[in-house]
Amino acid sequence: MTIRNRIIIAVVIQAAIICLICVFVYLSFNTVLSKLGVIEIIDDLNISLLEVRKSEKNYFLYGDVNALKEVVERGEEIDTVIQSSKADILKSLGPGTFNTLLSNLNKYLDMAREVLATKKTPVKFEEEFRNLGHELTRLSEVLLKRERRDVNRIISTSITRLIASLGMVLLFQLVVWQYFSHFLIKELAIMGNLIQMVSQGKLHEVAKQTFSPKNEIDYAIKALADMARELEKREAVLLQSEKLASLGILISGVAHELGNPLNNISLIAQGYLGLYDILGDGEKKNFMADVLTQTERISRIINNLLDFSRQKKQELREYEPEDIVERSIALVSNQIKISNVKLHKFLQPDLPHVYVDAPQIEQVLINLLINAIQAMPAGGDLTIDVGQDMTNGNLVVKVKDTGAGITKEDLPHVFDPFFTTKGTKGTGLGLSVSYGIIQQHHGDIAVESEEGKGTTFTVKIPIYQPKEREGDAQADIDH
Amino acid sequence: MPKQILIIDDEKIVCDMAQRILSQEGYEVEAFIDSTQALERIRGKKFDLVITDLKMENVDGMDILKEVNQRYPDTKVIMLTAYATLDAAIEAIRERIFDFFPKPVKIEDLKRSVKKALGF
Ligand SMILES: Nc1ncnc2c1ncn2[C@@H]1O[C@H](COP(=O)(O)OP(=O)(O)OP(=O)(O)O)[C@@H](O)[C@H]1O
Ligand SMILES: [Mg+2]
Repeated sequence: MTIRNRIIIAVVIQAAIICLICVFVYLSFNTVLSKLGVIEIIDDLNISLLEVRKSEKNYFLYGDVNALKEVVERGEEIDTVIQSSKADILKSLGPGTFNTLLSNLNKYLDMAREVLATKKTPVKFEEEFRNLGHELTRLSEVLLKRERRDVNRIISTSITRLIASLGMVLLFQLVVWQYFSHFLIKELAIMGNLIQMVSQGKLHEVAKQTFSPKNEIDYAIKALADMARELEKREAVLLQSEKLASLGILISGVAHELGNPLNNISLIAQGYLGLYDILGDGEKKNFMADVLTQTERISRIINNLLDFSRQKKQELREYEPEDIVERSIALVSNQIKISNVKLHKFLQPDLPHVYVDAPQIEQVLINLLINAIQAMPAGGDLTIDVGQDMTNGNLVVKVKDTGAGITKEDLPHVFDPFFTTKGTKGTGLGLSVSYGIIQQHHGDIAVESEEGKGTTFTVKIPIYQPKEREGDAQADIDH
Repeated sequence: MPKQILIIDDEKIVCDMAQRILSQEGYEVEAFIDSTQALERIRGKKFDLVITDLKMENVDGMDILKEVNQRYPDTKVIMLTAYATLDAAIEAIRERIFDFFPKPVKIEDLKRSVKKALGF
């Protein structure tokens, strides 16, 4: 249900309750008013009856016939009043009592009329007459009392009911408020989560959110999910074109790298054939030696390419990082010796073990060390710093030089296959192979550089965690 | 006086072999592996023909071509490249260029082209 509809329903229910209360109050006041009307009539009746009784008393005290006449006149007046407000009186007395009242009055009046007509007072007249009169006043008093009590009762129940319904309205308000705030907060929290996921780049999880929207916030969430899906699609397209682009770089790189030695071999062969007659034996030997160098160059390129495409199987074993680092340094020590580079080595003691393919990691470190040495043709400081990541304990190896640095334009490309600024002296595969190896070890390699100041490469490798890594390694081998 | 030829390629074997074969043909040939040095040489001396690789470090074949065209309008240029891409060819043809060879180069073709360039 939409939020709009929910609000409308809440408001309608609220309005209905208030209307009911108003009707109830109106009805209560109405009954009270009509009761008050009846009370007035009965009050009048009561007073009139008392008057009648007074005349009756005078008659018996003084034997005054006029008094008896007055009794009849007033009695008849009462009768007409009773007749005219019969409906009201009937309602509060009920038909039984009403009839008794009426017949008593008539009997009373009849007795008085008979005495007036015959001028004779029958035996026991006084007693019966008085009894009837008494009964009449008693009835009317009962009536009055009952009516008064009724009014009180109606008013007090009205008050309690009014208070109760006000309480109900407040309670309803509270429930509605609770409901909306709860509901809105819940929905907004979902949305907030999704937005956060988008900003964290977890597009896929957001895009997964498929549901039929029921309210406005759901629509917003759906729009968010649609957006994420769209972004994801574009990202995929971008990734694909990036892959194609790097494939293109790879292919043109391979073409160029292999094209040169092939051309050389072809030239040597053509020269050999063309100049065969004038070539001395020594020269012929040199030509063949050149062919060999060129074929070696080709196989080196192919080996690098194989490394690059990670066709070689990884052989993971547990190692002490110190050993790997020391071996790598030993393998470049010659280059360091003949250069003007000074090596600084920092090894944190008690480093955790790593579970790696040691020759591969050594290859990575050698690549970094040689790059660093090559970046400092005029000499400088080469620092290798081995420590641990504070947050997860991973092994961190930093290779730092004070060399030429990398230009801003080149920096994003140093890991690209065949990217090199070293002409034929470099294949441009060193860093891309290293990147692949570190990726395969679930690690990370990054570069920071400032032109003219130097460059730092940082390699992170997960530490050895027996159980977890075993399965991983198996998966890699299976792969 | 023999015709003067300059060869520039960062592959030593290309330089050696071309120098050797073209000398055999009776030309006077200089060869440079380093294109920066070759550029210096061009600034100092006029050649009849320049044979240059396209893709080289620092100073590339296009730089050489432009320099030659600017200084010596009647010097011919032959371009070599390890992989003939259309872009490179088109860019080279926009400049004044005598011939364009994708590697691997056939020596006979190169000899013929050189002969043609030097008006034999
Ligand atoms: N420490 C460094 N200082 C400055 N530039 C660097 C450094 N390391 C790498 N680079 C740049 O990154 C490029 C790519 O490096 P990479 O190791 O992949 O290839 P390469 O060294 O050129 O060739 P190869 O590794 O085959 O000898 C280098 O040509 C260089 O321009
Ligand atoms: Mg390298």
